[in-house]
Amino acid sequence: MTSPDAGRMRPGPSLWSRIQSGAIERFHIRIESLIVLLVLAAAMAVLSPYFLSWSNFLNIFLATATIGVLAIAATYVLGSGGLDLSLGSVMGLAGVVGAWVAVKAGLPTPVAVAATVGAGALAGFVNGLIITRAFVPAFIVTLGMLGIARGLALVINHGAAIYGLPAAMVYLGQGRPLGIPMPVIIFIATAIVMHILLAYTRYGRHTLAIGDSENAARTAGINVQRHRLSLYTLSGALAGLAGLIFATRVNAGDPTAGLTYELTAITAAIIGGTNLFGGRASILGTMIGALIMGVLQNGLNLLAVQSYYQQMAIGAVLILAVFIDQWQVRKESRV
Amino acid sequence: MSRLKSTLKLGVAFATLLAVAPAMAEGEYGVLMKTLANPFWGAMGMGVEDGAKEAGVAYYLQAVESDQAAEPQLNVCNTMLERKPVAMITAAINSTNLLPCLKAAQEAGIKVVDLDGNLDQAILDAEGIDITFRIGSDNVLAGAQGAEYVVSQLGADATGPVLVIEGLSGNITGQKRAQGFADKLGELAPGLEIVASLPGDWDRGKAANITNDILTRNPDLKAIFAANDGMALGAVESVFAAGKGGEVVIVGVDGNSDAVKSINEGRLTASVAQLPYLVGKQAVENVKVVVEGGEVPHEIIVPTLVLTKEVMDAGTEPMLEYVK
Repeated sequence: MTSPDAGRMRPGPSLWSRIQSGAIERFHIRIESLIVLLVLAAAMAVLSPYFLSWSNFLNIFLATATIGVLAIAATYVLGSGGLDLSLGSVMGLAGVVGAWVAVKAGLPTPVAVAATVGAGALAGFVNGLIITRAFVPAFIVTLGMLGIARGLALVINHGAAIYGLPAAMVYLGQGRPLGIPMPVIIFIATAIVMHILLAYTRYGRHTLAIGDSENAARTAGINVQRHRLSLYTLSGALAGLAGLIFATRVNAGDPTAGLTYELTAITAAIIGGTNLFGGRASILGTMIGALIMGVLQNGLNLLAVQSYYQQMAIGAVLILAVFIDQWQVRKESRV
Repeated sequence: MSRLKSTLKLGVAFATLLAVAPAMAEGEYGVLMKTLANPFWGAMGMGVEDGAKEAGVAYYLQAVESDQAAEPQLNVCNTMLERKPVAMITAAINSTNLLPCLKAAQEAGIKVVDLDGNLDQAILDAEGIDITFRIGSDNVLAGAQGAEYVVSQLGADATGPVLVIEGLSGNITGQKRAQGFADKLGELAPGLEIVASLPGDWDRGKAANITNDILTRNPDLKAIFAANDGMALGAVESVFAAGKGGEVVIVGVDGNSDAVKSINEGRLTASVAQLPYLVGKQAVENVKVVVEGGEVPHEIIVPTLVLTKEVMDAGTEPMLEYVK
């Protein structure tokens, strides 16, 4: 006996949309970005015989480490509806400060490491202070800091790199415990901690609430100014960490390190699904965004494609990612 | 499911678009440059190409987007290791950025060549990196040749202000050229005073601004020495815009095609030509000698040539053939 209602049964959510919402709820990522990453990796594996190897896999993470850490900072700040354009310069400054403390001042490695991250945090704190207390727009303040930090990095050692860090410090950039490069370990550990902080704690919820609507967040009793100040300080500290990775990797505090990295970091965050205007952000998503760029660059390098085309490819991926994102949002709002 | 399909299609289409896979080859040479946006490196790339063709070896050339992209160059260097070349001919962006990669190359038994002398021997020793050979022009000598030419034009007893535009702060190549110029000038014509020696960061626009500023302060400027041609050409623009064209001796370094054109037009006075084409060609030839078990000197100096309108018009200088 057939039910007369069978043909008129309301269709449940399709498998695909269940996967989509599951990915967002459980892992805070858009499944599309993960698919793009996997397709890209599969394409590179087919095209280049050198792509699929453990050492190349580590290469991709190693090449993504500094940008990845900066992208985490960008994700937090963008998620709160802010902007930090000084990331690359602060990274360069922090590396020079750390190298100066270790080499010129001859202080022990833990002090130099703390000084590197501390210099970044201090620059971020100054950003936050001017933004929240003097009410100068974040775009302006961090653009100003972009120049100040870069100039200061050049002033410290008259524009020259400070070479020859102590061995313990170089280990942070070149050591390979269990065969895994230290920058990769630092990068992944930072990503995990920052993902948990953003996705599962009150601090993270407040960050996104402020990005969603500053007024609503204030009404809900969040101390918006203090929270913003802490976010810019955090962003600076992460830039300092990226500076530490870079300096220890090349065994020198290079004042030109991180030039235009802020834009690359913001690109990674947005490809990963961060909303440019705040309210939505995920570190796991940003990691996928950073890896899409990393895989693309690595694969194109292996294929000996000129760097000019690589810039074009990354620009195209950025636009494509935001296009898919907007398309989804429109589709959802239509239902 | 259609969305999944279309996403997949997009991804595949995109990846295929980018696929310009060159064939891999056994025993290929990896060549890592700075940026091909600078004609100097373009000419060196041509030299590598011709050298490789004549020697019958396969090569694989990569460059990064700008000559300040230190970390991207290190990343490209690391990926190059994956292709396991027999030799890596590298033009490092600075004296430290490629060190971890070069160390790994050495451990993998890959021969490392310092193209154009961007590496610092003291740092290499400290890192335990043993390069196969270094090839390039002597930058101190190039600066000194620039000074000799300036003095030949102005006379040994000339007096007046001189401007030096250095390269990127901290870059060893630029430092050597500026130092070579300053030392030789002081020795040959003590009356010519270097009133400013400023970093132009290899940037044409920055060099133009510096020249403007110094011309305002020292309208009687006698000569300008820039550590590369791009900056010298920036200086040329400012000098001509200030209505002082022909009154200031302007000397660059590199001998690139833009500079040659400018010299022929009577704008740039001279360029100490580095013959990058010859450097690229000889680099490959010498690597081949080493790979086949031969010996080459640790330091190969490719001569430089002062290019002026007279030299080019006469056309008798045999090395002119290598000016590209």
